[in-house]
Amino acid sequence: MNRTKIKLLLGNIFPQLLLILVMLIMVIFLSVASPFFLTWDNFRNVFDHSSLYIILALGMTFVISSGGVDLSVGAVAALSGVCMAVAMQNGLGVGTSILIGLAAGGLVGAANGSIISLFKINPFIVTLGFMSLARGLALIITGGIPIYGFPRAFTWWGSGHIGPLNPPMLLAAFMAALAALVLNMSRFGYYTLALGGNEEALRRSGVSIHLYKIMVYLLCGVTAALGGLIVTARLNTAEPLAGWMLEMDSIAAVVLGGTSMKGGRGSIAGTLIACLLLGILRNGLVILSIPAYYQQLLIGMIILSAVIFAEVRSRKGLASTHKKERSTAV
Amino acid sequence: MKEKMKRMLAFMLLFSLVAFAAGCGSPASPPASGEKTGTGAAEEVKEDDDEVEKTAAGPAMNSKAQEIEQVLMDQLAPLPEFNTGEKIGVLIITLANPFWVAMKEGYEKAGAELGIEVAVMAAPTEGDTKSQLETLDAMVARDYAAIVASPIEPFNLVPGVVRANKKGIKVINLGPPISKEALKEAGGWLDGRITVDYEEQGAMAAEYIVEKLGPAGGKVAIIQGIPGAGQSEGRTAGAKKVFEAAENVEIVSIQPGNWDRNTAYNIASNILQAHPDIRAIFCCNDVMALAAADALEAAGKREGVIIFGVDFISEAHEAIKEGKLDGSIAYSIRVYSKAALILALKTVQGHAIPDEVFSPLALVSKENVAEFEGWE
Repeated sequence: MNRTKIKLLLGNIFPQLLLILVMLIMVIFLSVASPFFLTWDNFRNVFDHSSLYIILALGMTFVISSGGVDLSVGAVAALSGVCMAVAMQNGLGVGTSILIGLAAGGLVGAANGSIISLFKINPFIVTLGFMSLARGLALIITGGIPIYGFPRAFTWWGSGHIGPLNPPMLLAAFMAALAALVLNMSRFGYYTLALGGNEEALRRSGVSIHLYKIMVYLLCGVTAALGGLIVTARLNTAEPLAGWMLEMDSIAAVVLGGTSMKGGRGSIAGTLIACLLLGILRNGLVILSIPAYYQQLLIGMIILSAVIFAEVRSRKGLASTHKKERSTAV
Repeated sequence: MKEKMKRMLAFMLLFSLVAFAAGCGSPASPPASGEKTGTGAAEEVKEDDDEVEKTAAGPAMNSKAQEIEQVLMDQLAPLPEFNTGEKIGVLIITLANPFWVAMKEGYEKAGAELGIEVAVMAAPTEGDTKSQLETLDAMVARDYAAIVASPIEPFNLVPGVVRANKKGIKVINLGPPISKEALKEAGGWLDGRITVDYEEQGAMAAEYIVEKLGPAGGKVAIIQGIPGAGQSEGRTAGAKKVFEAAENVEIVSIQPGNWDRNTAYNIASNILQAHPDIRAIFCCNDVMALAAADALEAAGKREGVIIFGVDFISEAHEAIKEGKLDGSIAYSIRVYSKAALILALKTVQGHAIPDEVFSPLALVSKENVAEFEGWE
């Protein structure tokens, strides 16, 4: 019994271990291939860039674990950044403006969740709708022209310094720790996974499906808004086009990290590592001066191979647990 | 168990493949850049006839290009030392647009001609502002003496430029502007800027259209690029001013085509639906103008409508010759990219350069397209 438990645990973190291994191989390769890769300045870049992806991917991990998907996060990031900018333009304080932006993100998230849950519509379609809606709103509010120039207290969130690190990195680390706790230790996390694993069973056990689904998407909306805060603060500009394709980047990271697209299984650690891996890859390809065409090709290849690998593994795992169940039943 | 090992091995193999591919493409050597990646549009640019032009007085067919090159070179004098092998990084917008593909080749050719090392990088798509900044940051981590950058939006590259400034890398801004104001606030600066006058481009096209419409005037429409993008706003503003000042000319629609062929096609068909009597469409680039021409042709309404683009990509050149497109506004990509590299070299070698250099423009239409044979 104990042995199988250990085996199960090892089996669960195996994909993440593999990711770390791949990441190490990449780091070694890139360090040998280019003298510009393994420097603190460059790694600071990688962490700085990855922090945005990490924060968005955390919310996405919850959504995907619950069996859904959220395509609106990139647009929501832009919209909430624009809301913060407009609030500051109208003389509101930095803190209040940030809260308004986060609320806007949460609102879109809650709307996503409500429609998906109450009307039982495919999340792909609903969030696709909100992607367009949020992007449209961001363009309308700004009139297509970026809003520029914010107080230092605001831009600190993107370009400030905390020792050798900066606020986005620390925010990402903090959020990741929080997300890991919530997903693995709290009732909300448990229900999120259950939503993806077996929604019907959860419903029959008397849990309010609607409430938890809405909460999952709300959380994702808020993390998207946090991403919007970082982008807007870093550039000192609220762009209606910010966060372009960010939804794809975060979905890719989540899936690469070992969270199942079918729901029921999610790994915050995996998401974190996958974001760093993709960050290193993107950075390394530029450091090596590899043309943009190949960059997209390689990123696509890596995501595909990871997904195929995970799928094959999960099928085998399923088969073996079935066997075991049967044997214990007998 | 064995099975597991095998799969793991396969996975590893894939990564070594990735690494291998990375190794292949790694040096920014000119041969790697010469690959036939272009979307056909770039092919004409590849004809290697600039050696000829450079030495002799050149054949008469290149007179326009030469004229423009001379104007610019006079502006740039005194010239820096060449063949010094400096490494210059170039960040363009995207290789998904034939214009930027042609620019990339222009840079690489000019780099070879000037005897310097040039590496051209790009964002994956025209709208991906954050990836472009990330690419710039990674470039700054390398050992370039100067970087020539063309931003997607005025603000998206600002933090990266500041980092380059701090590291002592010279930054030249080509084309769409990087906001100087935002840079100043962030503690950075530009070492030079070369651009074309976008408003002038729009105005030139609109003036041609107004003249062709004659005193009767008529309804005109503008298809913009991405709202907020410098070229798009400038060209639109220039065209709008001229159209508004003209008698009997009415702007019935200004729509964002996002530089995208498909979007522009749909907009053009919609405009035609709403205004069957439309007389002219000005598009903020050639890709969209070609799409608009296709849309009108598909509806059987191409006759009697003037369609004008900007950039004079080679596909547009063909289209103007065939009469599919009425015209475009050209600036020589070859001269433009070469000038940017010369400016970069000058700053690296400590020459003073003017704050802003404009690349000269030329209007191409059915009437004069023959003079543009061999234009790059």
